[in-house]
Amino acid sequence: MRFQHHQAALDTRANVAWMEVHTENYMGGGSPIRYLEAIRRDIPISLHGVGLSLGSAEGLDQAHLDRIRQLAEHIEPDLMSEHIAWSVSGGTYLADLLPLPMTEEALAVVCRHVDQVQSTLRRKILVENPSTYMQFRHSTIPEWEFMAAVVARTGCGILCDVNNIYVSAKNHGWDPLAYLAVLPPDAIGEIHLAGHSARQLADGATLRIDDHGSRVIGEVWLLYEAALRRFGPVPTLIEWDQNVPPLDVLIDEARHADALIDVASDGVGRADAA
Amino acid sequence: MGSVVPMLLEIQTAMRCDILGNGDETVVATLSDTLAPVDRLSIYRNTSRTALTSALRLNFPAVQRLVGEDFFTTAADTFITREPPQTAWLDPYGEGFPEFLQGFEPVAALIYLPDVARLERAVGRALHASDAKSLEYSQLLDIEPSDQGRVCFTPHPSVSLVSSPYPVDAIWRAVLGQNDEALAAIKLSSGAVRLLVERRAGEIEVSRLDERRWKFAEALFAGHSLSTALTVADNPDAAVWLAAHLAAGHLSGFSLSTTESLVVTEHAQ
Repeated sequence: MRFQHHQAALDTRANVAWMEVHTENYMGGGSPIRYLEAIRRDIPISLHGVGLSLGSAEGLDQAHLDRIRQLAEHIEPDLMSEHIAWSVSGGTYLADLLPLPMTEEALAVVCRHVDQVQSTLRRKILVENPSTYMQFRHSTIPEWEFMAAVVARTGCGILCDVNNIYVSAKNHGWDPLAYLAVLPPDAIGEIHLAGHSARQLADGATLRIDDHGSRVIGEVWLLYEAALRRFGPVPTLIEWDQNVPPLDVLIDEARHADALIDVASDGVGRADAA
Repeated sequence: MGSVVPMLLEIQTAMRCDILGNGDETVVATLSDTLAPVDRLSIYRNTSRTALTSALRLNFPAVQRLVGEDFFTTAADTFITREPPQTAWLDPYGEGFPEFLQGFEPVAALIYLPDVARLERAVGRALHASDAKSLEYSQLLDIEPSDQGRVCFTPHPSVSLVSSPYPVDAIWRAVLGQNDEALAAIKLSSGAVRLLVERRAGEIEVSRLDERRWKFAEALFAGHSLSTALTVADNPDAAVWLAAHLAAGHLSGFSLSTTESLVVTEHAQ
């Protein structure tokens, strides 16, 4: 949910199963947090963080973790999630989900930080697989095994971003179905879907860019169906952060996901739009 | 890089330098991608710049309208390189932006621009400040009369004071209201303004104070003792002004000072 949807969300709350917001947008006082409190009275909330930087070599920003803890204690979200990425270095926040080398060192750093976050919040968090545009030469662990290892070592869950799997698989020549096959089904607590764009690079390569600015494409819907077959019905969210359309377009996308969940299961899972 | 297999810290430091505009070939050398590695890296740089520029745009909308979107992007780019954010909570990002604009040669002719930015920074502070409880009058009843002069107040985090030689409040309203007629009618020579910016019931209010009231509020909000603030005010109505601040919820706490600071004494003269 974005700020321009606050009032619409309050008006139509009966039709929405749950809502996800960016944790970092609700760290101050005033009207944003008042809206979230009001929506929270009727609808479960998922807090989705983008700034904790689980992969920072220099450790977590304790002040930021404290703000997240205070918000969580206040809002009591049903789900909390973050990313397998980094965004803070040398005390500077770089405002992007930057790629980690897939190494034992990075795995140890991420696991140490997930442990720290879960013990601070006294709850399980979900970690989301990233979309990436480059790979490091010294990476030794396939990303899907990295994800599974974080779950095995910390007991956290996974926010499986199906569009991110598709984007990274296209960018790096991976098999997206093989990726899904390694993720532990019991750990999947949420699925993300989104639109993406394609960009031609100077050397002729085409890169898929995860920009959350359009409808979900057909191939990603197919991968989503495969994910549902493997994981069962899982709460699903359509992300849309650029060129945000009216709420009814988002709800239309969510209905499509709902229909697929119904086909793949007994209809227990429910989809939503952010 | 110092080792054959670079450490995570080395990679992150090199990538931070690249994103902030002073990178070298270090990161590219660690990539396995043979096709367009520089292009790949620039995607992250661009995303970072766009996100931080958007944060500044949200925090300084009137400044952006005054200088235009393209120019704002250029100014923001220079500012981001000089003062990138230190936390992932971006609502307060741009504390140093007004001072940056003050020294930014291309906008030197817009003499009122840094003060418009100062007003927007105060508005942002009011919008995003924590929901601290306001001080109630009843909480002051137990103070001994002999101690009243030593009371130092803490302003509510949403309250700020801004002063400018130019009518920046009128400029700010006209620009955000896209009222070109009002903007054209503003005379920069109309005199200084002294403003109090606050959040009341979720809404931002910017009000003008006269010079004495503003100076009293300035001393009070700076944490100087009540006796000092009253000396600064030099007005029999100052006790009423204090009551008005309390009633409006501008104060959130108090303590008793043990000494008067040198700064306070100088201020009072």
